[in-house]
Amino acid sequence: MPKLSADERLQRLLALIPWVASRDGPPVDDVCARFGCTQSELVADLELLFLCGLHPYTPDVLIDVDIADGRVWIRYAEYFARPLRLTPAEGLALLAAGRTVLATSGGDDGGPLERGLAKLAAAMGVDAGEAVEIELGPVAEDLLSTLRNAAVASRQVEIDYYSFGRDERARRVVDPYAVFSAGGQWYVSGWCHRVDDERLFRVDRIAAATPLSSGFEPRDAPPELVAYRPDAADPRVTLELDPSARWVTEQYPVEKVEEVDGGRLRVTLAASQPAWLERLLLRLGPQATVVGSDGGVASDAARRLLARYRG
Amino acid sequence: MKSLDAWTRPRTAGRPRSIGSMHRLERLINLVAALLHADRPLTADELRNRLPGYAEDHGAFRRAFERDKEALRDLGVPVVLEPVDHAAQPGVVGYRIPKEAYYLKDPGLAPDELAALHLASSAVRLEGASGVAALWKLGGELAEQGPFGGIAGASPAVAALPGTAHLGPVFAAISGRRRIAFSYRGRPRVVDPWRLSFRNGHWYLAGHDHDADEERMFRLDRVESDVEVTGDEGAFDRPPHSGAQPPPWELGAEEALTARLLVDAGQAAWAAAHVGPDAVEEWRPDGSVVLAVRVTNRDAFRSFVLGFLDHAEVLGPPELRVDMVEWLERLCRS
Repeated sequence: MPKLSADERLQRLLALIPWVASRDGPPVDDVCARFGCTQSELVADLELLFLCGLHPYTPDVLIDVDIADGRVWIRYAEYFARPLRLTPAEGLALLAAGRTVLATSGGDDGGPLERGLAKLAAAMGVDAGEAVEIELGPVAEDLLSTLRNAAVASRQVEIDYYSFGRDERARRVVDPYAVFSAGGQWYVSGWCHRVDDERLFRVDRIAAATPLSSGFEPRDAPPELVAYRPDAADPRVTLELDPSARWVTEQYPVEKVEEVDGGRLRVTLAASQPAWLERLLLRLGPQATVVGSDGGVASDAARRLLARYRG
Repeated sequence: MKSLDAWTRPRTAGRPRSIGSMHRLERLINLVAALLHADRPLTADELRNRLPGYAEDHGAFRRAFERDKEALRDLGVPVVLEPVDHAAQPGVVGYRIPKEAYYLKDPGLAPDELAALHLASSAVRLEGASGVAALWKLGGELAEQGPFGGIAGASPAVAALPGTAHLGPVFAAISGRRRIAFSYRGRPRVVDPWRLSFRNGHWYLAGHDHDADEERMFRLDRVESDVEVTGDEGAFDRPPHSGAQPPPWELGAEEALTARLLVDAGQAAWAAAHVGPDAVEEWRPDGSVVLAVRVTNRDAFRSFVLGFLDHAEVLGPPELRVDMVEWLERLCRS
């Protein structure tokens, strides 16, 4: 555990003091577990607390701390009778976390999480469901739980996956490392045995997942929770965008933005996958022009689509 | 590690001790205790004289005191500056921590509720905010940590929500029902904040825009200024929330049309799940699906359909089909 700064130790003490003071000698182990510290860290903090109190700092107005038989007592700290209120950011972090879990698990139907959130929200003067609304990507719950269970048990899965970037559907055997949501979409990261490399799969593009009996060696490193990181080797495309297409700079990781005449923007993006670029150009239509040549990507794609309508 | 048996009573060390040996943490605790306990505001001079650990030198004291106040405010400790006594000492101000603003209102969480919140907060990460300090305040962390900060034996699913600097202040305004002002898309806005929504990977604020005099959504990462609170607490009532947000192709004021969209087998299940089972008109024997989609924003609908590349086709009505064909023909000529 990293060493806490004086401010972080203060934050912990202001919460720990009322918790201990309102109980009759809770076990030291329990206090350490709840407040995430070692015994020596707790002792160091309590040794300081023992010197604190009110003016004129005579024994009768100092905080009393006792440690005996593996238990701890804090007395004469009435002004610390309650913990510091939650800051708006802390309250929001808890509410958002709770709402996210409810949104992905289909709710716990009046269970402890829903009840806890309702109480917490009421203490902050809001209604949990009304004040914070979370929508992650729409995925089937059973699919998500199949993938999660496989990741926990380090079991391989076979997925029927549609690659959005390559516009191609195929079955792949995957070692699922982690299932996570980032940027409003669910992903499973893992080793893909079809390409023999690590890959990130969007869960909503998985048509079916079958757990296999074969296991795999779990990875030590925690998942990075990053959805897409352009590779230096990926081809780049430069577009000139009408003012009405400025949203591109907010939706995609653009690498270079230049203002050109009349509010138009010149942007450069990594376009590793042809189908991805096709979609972008088809959607932008006349609002974008490719600087240099796109090798006819947009017009070829448009012709292919038109064939359906003329069929 | 220090053994608990070796616990000694440092109080016998004798005080006052020299300033150099005073730990900053000790000074901060004493400062909070003094300001919280005081029944009237304490002047800076009083604090310097009463609290061990502050320098005699005026300039050095000021610098240390300012830094301490800043640290406390960063933690959310409400340090206020007030007149000490209007009548007896006009113009003299002092510091205080109002108990009612400091103390956490006990939400009365049962142990299983606290454990559920802890589980949730270790599964979901909100960038730039920590749930740990909040859990300490609510009675500490209960569940056992598993690998990757998840919960042992439970789902390792982790969600990361992006953060923006505006989330805290906006949420404070929502819970206090205070009017706020900020700059958005080059214009100053005055808004009654109602609700935060996270969707499509972004945080949005929904509220009443006073300029437009109607409900608007603001993407928080596009807010161009600080969020300034301009109104008193309880300045407005939140209307009840209608719930689900319509898809982009229903976010528009165009005359409503019902589009019939054919999606090939490979994409059919995803498309049906995406627009909702109610929209399914027909599953065809080849595995493709025909969806009936209500459209009030044609640009958004066309964008949705183009996402399928050549695996989907607008069957009707004729005007939507023509719209698509014309769009594609223009691209062929480009």
